[in-house]
Amino acid sequence: MALMGFSTGALCLGDFARALCLMRKTSMKAVELSALRLPELPALIEELRKLDLNQFKYISFHAPSRFSAEEEGHVVELLQRVPKSWPIIVHPDAIHDPKKWIVFGRQIAIENMDRRKSTGRSAEELRHWFELFPDARLCLDLAHTHQCDRTMTEAYRILKKFSKKICQLHISELDSAGHHFPLSLGTISAFLEIKSLIPTDTPAIIESINPFADAEDREQVAWIERELQRASTALGRVPQFQAASISPAAIEIEPAHALA
Amino acid sequence: MSGIPCANQSVSPLEELAGILDCHWKNIEDARKSTRKALQGISEIIENTPRDTSIVVHGSLARYECTQGSDLDWTLLVDGVADPAVQNEFIATRKKLSGNSRIKDLGLKDPGREKTFGTLSFSQPMIHYIGGEEDTNANTTRRILLLLEAQPIGDQSGVVKRGVFNQVRMGILRRYLDEDRGLLKLDLEGKRRWVPLFLLNDFARYWRTMAVDFAYKQFDRGNQGYALRSIKLGTSRKLLFASGLLACFWCDPVISKNPCQEVSKQSLMSNLADFLELTPLERVALFYTKHIGATNSEFLKKNANELFGAYDEFLGKLNEKEWRDRLENLQLPKTEEVQEDEVFKQARIMRKEFSQAILDMFVNQDSPLRKHSIEKGIF
Repeated sequence: MALMGFSTGALCLGDFARALCLMRKTSMKAVELSALRLPELPALIEELRKLDLNQFKYISFHAPSRFSAEEEGHVVELLQRVPKSWPIIVHPDAIHDPKKWIVFGRQIAIENMDRRKSTGRSAEELRHWFELFPDARLCLDLAHTHQCDRTMTEAYRILKKFSKKICQLHISELDSAGHHFPLSLGTISAFLEIKSLIPTDTPAIIESINPFADAEDREQVAWIERELQRASTALGRVPQFQAASISPAAIEIEPAHALA
Repeated sequence: MSGIPCANQSVSPLEELAGILDCHWKNIEDARKSTRKALQGISEIIENTPRDTSIVVHGSLARYECTQGSDLDWTLLVDGVADPAVQNEFIATRKKLSGNSRIKDLGLKDPGREKTFGTLSFSQPMIHYIGGEEDTNANTTRRILLLLEAQPIGDQSGVVKRGVFNQVRMGILRRYLDEDRGLLKLDLEGKRRWVPLFLLNDFARYWRTMAVDFAYKQFDRGNQGYALRSIKLGTSRKLLFASGLLACFWCDPVISKNPCQEVSKQSLMSNLADFLELTPLERVALFYTKHIGATNSEFLKKNANELFGAYDEFLGKLNEKEWRDRLENLQLPKTEEVQEDEVFKQARIMRKEFSQAILDMFVNQDSPLRKHSIEKGIF
């Protein structure tokens, strides 16, 4: 069964420990440990071996999305401490010197970019990166493809060219300023159009920003389960709900919820 | 792009067809070279492309048919959050592109007087208003030209900002396919239509609008420029429509000879968008290369020779300042007198040859397009 989970950064910005604590109260079996901002990287790397990740059958690691050319060597050095079996998700536009990243081989997964970026957005632009990194895999960010092309034709092209390279999905919705937020019905419907082209066993990581970050855990867990349900629906997958706190039957996709 | 070569790349269907037919269309080739030079020159003038916009050229520049005195028809296409500041960006762009001596040095003229170009254009009306009261003449023109005759251009960064251009184009195409309910369904005979009729009808509507506007301009401008507009209507404008009609037929794998065509909107959109990336002449050339390659049809070879030969002659004449000026300034009060002009007479013969070649391409007994043209293009 395909695995679904959350990015720690989406659930609790900059606080992976708190995010993992929340995840333990849910049924999710996949996680992406996020060090999207450079200052988060050393602390997360330092804590890696101490984290309780037994719940997860799929783990990936998101590299920082921005650093200087001078900082790049140190970033690569730290990322080499990530277990080899965990894909490292990399934004192609963050890379200054591709030679430094060759060492990761198939461990790195190039993520397709949103429309604010000048590279890595389309199948054609991704081709350039896979020529540089022939062994690299692809983290297909559905929100980014949808933002670049609402018709999902570019997503179709990416899938036709690189579906064998996909190791993970990112799923959420983006506004025009590039902020991730929960899935709406329109986006779910758009993702459904290309679901048949996505390998069914691809783990999916949700990046919707937690709108209840300051609320009680119970409310947050309920939202997490709802978002997992929405994502499952968007990918046409059978949801895997086993959390004691929420009954799957109680979770319905109401337009009001989806647009919340 | 699925790998169909286009005007700004090294190999084009035009070159391939010229090779198959063992022909050399010098004027077409010269015009393509002039266009590349002009586009390069324009991009050096533009400091940057504002966020959430593409600077798009239309007309002869977009067709890669730049000749002496071509207009620089451009728009600043916007697809983003509503922001009054975009007006400042537009004014800055206009300052660079209209009335600039460097543009004149490139041999380009300011946009025409209809104010369709040299303006801001927004994605929302183009995508949302297809048909209905809100779909004005200018909106239809911008929308159809964005599909058939448009190129995003670069700036001093050396990068062509295609994002907004591609996005709006896709949005428009999607509207046409989404509301064409029977497009991919099997009909009563178990056949798929493939040809997007909503799109085809709008291309046809635009072609008729151009023809009607020709008469309107004649009335409005007191015959000024009549002769040249008349020749262009029967050549470059007709080619534009023909390439649009062909784009609709190209959706049928029998015509595109595309074994990879899938029964899905995304697959159809992807192939259609790739085809529209080509210039009108390249679209037509691609049709011939595919079908001559498959059938070695003598009819198609002859037909292609006639069509491209006539068009090559037209571009050659258009590039002669004297010829162009003469037709542009031919404004006699009586139509009979206009037709007595020897230059105009020769131009009309050339236009007739081209028109006949286009007619043969679509409806001749031996044309692979005949059935589609009759069944889908007429009724």
